[in-house]
Amino acid sequence: MSEFHDNYPHYETMSNHDEDYGKKARRTLWNVFWIMLAITIFELVVGFLAPSKGWSGTWWLKTLFISLTVVKAAAIVLWFMHLGHEVKVFKYTILMPYLIFMFYLIFIILTEGTYSGGQSKMTRVDAIFVEQQNALKHGHHGGGESSEHHEAGAEEAHH
Amino acid sequence: MAHTAEHTAEIDVKEAWNGGQSPFRLSYGKMFMWFFLVSDALTFGGLLVSYGFIRHKYADVWPKAEHVFTHFPFVEQHIPLAYVGLMTFILIMSSVTMVLAVEAGHRMDKKGVILWMFWTIVGGAMFVGSQAWEWYHFIVGTDAGALRNVWDPATGAYVKQIWHGANMITNEYGVPQFANYFFFITGFHGTHVFSGVVLNLIIFLNVIKGTYARRGHYEMVEKVGLYWHFVDLVWVFVFTFFYLL
Repeated sequence: MSEFHDNYPHYETMSNHDEDYGKKARRTLWNVFWIMLAITIFELVVGFLAPSKGWSGTWWLKTLFISLTVVKAAAIVLWFMHLGHEVKVFKYTILMPYLIFMFYLIFIILTEGTYSGGQSKMTRVDAIFVEQQNALKHGHHGGGESSEHHEAGAEEAHH
Repeated sequence: MAHTAEHTAEIDVKEAWNGGQSPFRLSYGKMFMWFFLVSDALTFGGLLVSYGFIRHKYADVWPKAEHVFTHFPFVEQHIPLAYVGLMTFILIMSSVTMVLAVEAGHRMDKKGVILWMFWTIVGGAMFVGSQAWEWYHFIVGTDAGALRNVWDPATGAYVKQIWHGANMITNEYGVPQFANYFFFITGFHGTHVFSGVVLNLIIFLNVIKGTYARRGHYEMVEKVGLYWHFVDLVWVFVFTFFYLL
């Protein structure tokens, strides 16, 4: 192994697990998988029902989806990528710089992003599209000549 | 080399950084795979935050994913979310087979590593194929299409016409920014999946050749495993922000 640079003493290549250890490890991994699958199916069912129930775009639905995503992400990082079992100082070395930068970026976008203006300042938006959207919002279709999506039209017309 | 029973064994903090040992209890290669993934995650994070910003700005005219991605292979009816649900399942599944390959490597079980890495590669290839299929339907669009002002380079003016599908400039489904971000972020992710499949394939061939059995450990499988899980991790976010919200 001397041709590799990673032959420091006192770190483990994890090549010595026995069958008992493996059984335990596999059980944990499959449990994580079933949880992630259950979350994904739940998300899909809620996402499928959302338009007809009028849940689309509500604050609680967004919060729900984003928190479930963070739960899944944590499961991947901590169990599948094994970060949960690394030494503490390494966990922080990986997570802290990332979280600090991302929270900072999200904070800046949320607080300073308003300066980009709303719809009035939108550039390069097809006028026809804005018309169609406005027509949908006011409950009537753009007429025969405007061939808006059928499904989209039917869905939105109720609101 | 002395193997400790628990690789998270307590380190003497005073001794840890004195040299001659890994203070993180990790090999050089695995540590730098992690550092690479942090930088890659920042790229994806930046892209997704920028997507959120533009989407919020164009909220009134932003298309809804359930109206855009409704196709399913061999099915005539439109089923929103079903296909992307299947893609997500394939990728999560391939993440599980990858972690099982890593686990088999810990027991020096060569046959196990081969079996699980094989399914990981199959899953990855299926995902890339699914993404190509998804792009194809997004680009071709619906039969009905939608009325758009389309730029005509020959006359240098906008012409009103029925437009099908999406490209970087004109988009049947809504504002062009939707297509721009869709192509860029899913494309960037798809490139990662593709390189992941290639890396997995290289390591897979080495496993078959017995390179790691001779080396005494399957840490290379762990390293590509980290990359592969990262690809899954990014997809979890792309799935939420593009399809669910």
